[in-house]
Amino acid sequence: MNLAAVKERLGRMDWLLNVAAGILIVLGILFIYSASFQSDELPVTGFYRRQIVWAVIGIGLYLGMTLWDYRRVAELAGWIYALAMVLLVLVKFVGHEVYGANRWLFVFGIQIQPSEFAKLALIIAVARYWGRPGSLQRDGRGTIITLLMAGLPFALIALQPDLGTAAVLAPIVLCMLFVAGVPLRRLAILGLIGTLLLPVGWLNLNAYQRDRIMVFVDPGRDPLGAGWNKMQSQIAVGSGGLTGKGYLEGTQNILGFLPRTVAPTDFIYSVIAEEAGFAGSVLVLSMFGIVMVSGVRASLAAKDVFGRLLAVGVTAMLFTHIFVNIAMTIGLMPITGLPLPLMSYGGSFMLSCMIGLGLLQSIYTRRYQRL
Amino acid sequence: MVIRSIERTAVRLHILLFVLIAAHLFLAFMLWRIQVAHGHLYAQDELRQSVRRVQLPGMRGRIYDRQGRIVVDNRPGYGIAMYLEEIRRPGPWARTIDHVEQIIQDLSEELDTPPQVSREDIQAHVRRRLPLPLMAWRDVDERIMARWAEQSSLRPGVDLTVDAVRVYPYGAVGAHLLGYVGRAEAVQDPGEPFHYYLPDVEGKSGIEAFLDSYLRGRPGGELLRVDAVGYRHHLLGRRDPEPGDDIQLTIDLEIQRIATEVLGNRPGSIVVLDPRNGDVLAMVSAPGYDPNLFVPSISAYEWRKLVDDPRRPMINRAVAGRYVPGSIFKPVVALAALQSGRASPDMVFHCPGHFDLGNTRFHCWLRRGHGDLNMRQALERSCNVYFYRLALQSGYDHIYGMGMALGLGRETGVELNHEVRGLLPNDAWKRRVHQDAWRDGDTCNLAIGQGPIVVTPIQMAVMVSAIANGGQVVHPRLVKGIKAHEEEHFHMREVQTPRTLAWPENAIEAVRGGMFDAIMSPSGTGRRARVSGVEMAGKTGTAEYGPPDAGLKYAWIIGFAPYRDPRYAFVIVVDSGVSGGETAAPMLRDLMSGIRDYEAGAGGPGT
Repeated sequence: MNLAAVKERLGRMDWLLNVAAGILIVLGILFIYSASFQSDELPVTGFYRRQIVWAVIGIGLYLGMTLWDYRRVAELAGWIYALAMVLLVLVKFVGHEVYGANRWLFVFGIQIQPSEFAKLALIIAVARYWGRPGSLQRDGRGTIITLLMAGLPFALIALQPDLGTAAVLAPIVLCMLFVAGVPLRRLAILGLIGTLLLPVGWLNLNAYQRDRIMVFVDPGRDPLGAGWNKMQSQIAVGSGGLTGKGYLEGTQNILGFLPRTVAPTDFIYSVIAEEAGFAGSVLVLSMFGIVMVSGVRASLAAKDVFGRLLAVGVTAMLFTHIFVNIAMTIGLMPITGLPLPLMSYGGSFMLSCMIGLGLLQSIYTRRYQRL
Repeated sequence: MVIRSIERTAVRLHILLFVLIAAHLFLAFMLWRIQVAHGHLYAQDELRQSVRRVQLPGMRGRIYDRQGRIVVDNRPGYGIAMYLEEIRRPGPWARTIDHVEQIIQDLSEELDTPPQVSREDIQAHVRRRLPLPLMAWRDVDERIMARWAEQSSLRPGVDLTVDAVRVYPYGAVGAHLLGYVGRAEAVQDPGEPFHYYLPDVEGKSGIEAFLDSYLRGRPGGELLRVDAVGYRHHLLGRRDPEPGDDIQLTIDLEIQRIATEVLGNRPGSIVVLDPRNGDVLAMVSAPGYDPNLFVPSISAYEWRKLVDDPRRPMINRAVAGRYVPGSIFKPVVALAALQSGRASPDMVFHCPGHFDLGNTRFHCWLRRGHGDLNMRQALERSCNVYFYRLALQSGYDHIYGMGMALGLGRETGVELNHEVRGLLPNDAWKRRVHQDAWRDGDTCNLAIGQGPIVVTPIQMAVMVSAIANGGQVVHPRLVKGIKAHEEEHFHMREVQTPRTLAWPENAIEAVRGGMFDAIMSPSGTGRRARVSGVEMAGKTGTAEYGPPDAGLKYAWIIGFAPYRDPRYAFVIVVDSGVSGGETAAPMLRDLMSGIRDYEAGAGGPGT
């Protein structure tokens, strides 16, 4: 590919998405600094610098994915899926244990979280399956195969145990099946089965996970234990008011009521909402809205089923994280530990988001190409 | 075929887009609810958990005597405070507490003074008062201050503090009336709730207690931000405390000092009143104590010593001593008889040394008898028989009425707590307590100030003032003026109008004359009180109390001077003396000569 082709390709990018994602990444870095500059612990105070590094790598991957024809990805779908499953198995045996869960692998000295890539791998594989000629017409068989494809990573991630990340797979698959044209009646049955399985899931939860859910049902249950983060996050968001307390002035965060261990990661939105108020939190929400619209636009622009479902899967993945994270921050959902795309501190998720967005651009820039 | 399927997915995709946008709008609505609609509630929660209000005590006002001498003052007290937020250690509390203990240990060696706080104190502080500085040493002396200044290295989180410490420059002089201060109980003000109270003092007795609300001033406050652990993070705001009011007393410290010296360590009391307006010029109770013992706090040992002392040094005998008046009550009987119209000053009774009432014989203190006496002579020599007969002649009711009019059996209302009423017995009282009627024998006892009657020295001072000023029952007062901190001059309190008793001229003349002779005549019972250059009137008293055979006697003398235009009314009582004439009269002499010399030099108390 020569330079002129690269320039032409980049010129066709969805610039609205570029701008929205850029704003979110910059705000993310600024507020990670705000959430950690008060900390006494050395690695925490350096979080924002590391996030800059991750963002730069992410942008590189984003542009790389844009230039790479997404249809080449389809050809590698089987290998990608297989690799992700191997990594998930590996993490169970040689993974690095944090808070009693094996979620991390060390590769060349860098911590990576295979479950983040497994989500992308599953999206690619499911899109690939439905993209084969004739798949759309045999949706009954397709649904079962899709469920089997999703079941393997779900089980592996749930066993880490990281039920939150595993649960994200469900809405992704549901959205993809929905757009693939699976009859609503069948989707409803799937939903019913899922609901019936909930008690089984409850029995398999750890004590701390049950606590989180019980606290959501009854917030006064354990205000200093499991209820603390939820309560303090709500107070942070609420006390931000209309215009917020000002950058680096969030008392909930500075005084440590919002624990410093989670403020830059899972509760970054709560720091933003406290310091920038309703104005800031809605600005961020709007940027995510633009990302969602761009995702659907890329899907609509796709000339093939693989591209269309790939874009839907990526959009659904981002949406699930955004919705669950913000709802958790303002106390509408139990604490699940799902990070906020592009903003929460963390390398693996930043990279998988940027790869996902790059795939959207790869689809969008090829909107005029004939199949 | 494929194309048609893709078109079908486009419909579903639009539905999905709609759902996504709806979900975002839902989140935006919920954010509006929590941040804008209910934001103030969460803001309150946020303040409640991170803001602490600390009450800062105001500086107590000073107390002056009538000449402007400072009799109660504040001095700077230096302490060593530890700011725990600067010396905290991460991890379990024990690590921070260990660290604090270590610093105190090091400082203790460096300053060569034993630690004042124990590990338990540190733990209690961390548990209950974490955002406040821990006072490692309070009120350190100059030697420790010097060592502190010599310290080469500055320690982070440890610093000097200064606060006001109450000081009584004249020590035991006036201790009972000035009172002392002690640690204040924190009182929650529902209008302005505080989380923490810095140690404050409050008056525990005397003027310090009675006028505590004036002396105390208005407390200030600090708003502190605390972090999630509870350490102080920063100061949000501060309102400086306002110093309390200054008080000017009617006391003249010089007279108070002379009176204190005169009484010495003998249990008893001296009260000096200005009979013109009721100003208390001196009020002494013995034995006394040094109120500085209570600053900053009294040791348990010293406290027990004071409380367990059988001589009861904590009691202010001037207002809380229950005394039998004895013969100093006789002027009241004389005035009652004369006002009743049933007796005249010239009436003469014969004293054979005893008086028989039915089968009971009442003795005169002079067993051989005084012979024939008129009222003036009876007062001069304090003849008992004369007053038995005078009392029976006038009748009990008039004596009771006169006693009531002079304020006996009631508090005088002087500005001190725990004043006692005393007791002026009557028929109703006797029926209630002894289930018996009032009899002539009771009247005879009362005539010479014996029996169940109980008086206080301050009541006797009001009584003698009335005789001195011709029938004005003054309201004794200790407080002359009050001055708010920012003001320049004292607001003088108005003198309460005294009650006037319409005594016949001849009655006043007879009683005053008799009392003049009691001091000035060579045969007067109070002749030992005479002071050259001063015309003085008075009356001695020797009252028996306690078990009949114990021989315990209160030695009294009351008096006023100068005779013609009285400016001083005196009461002296000694708990166990030989007699008023032998024990109390020489004390009055010393007191009066002291005042005479004081007036000759500096000018005296004025009005």
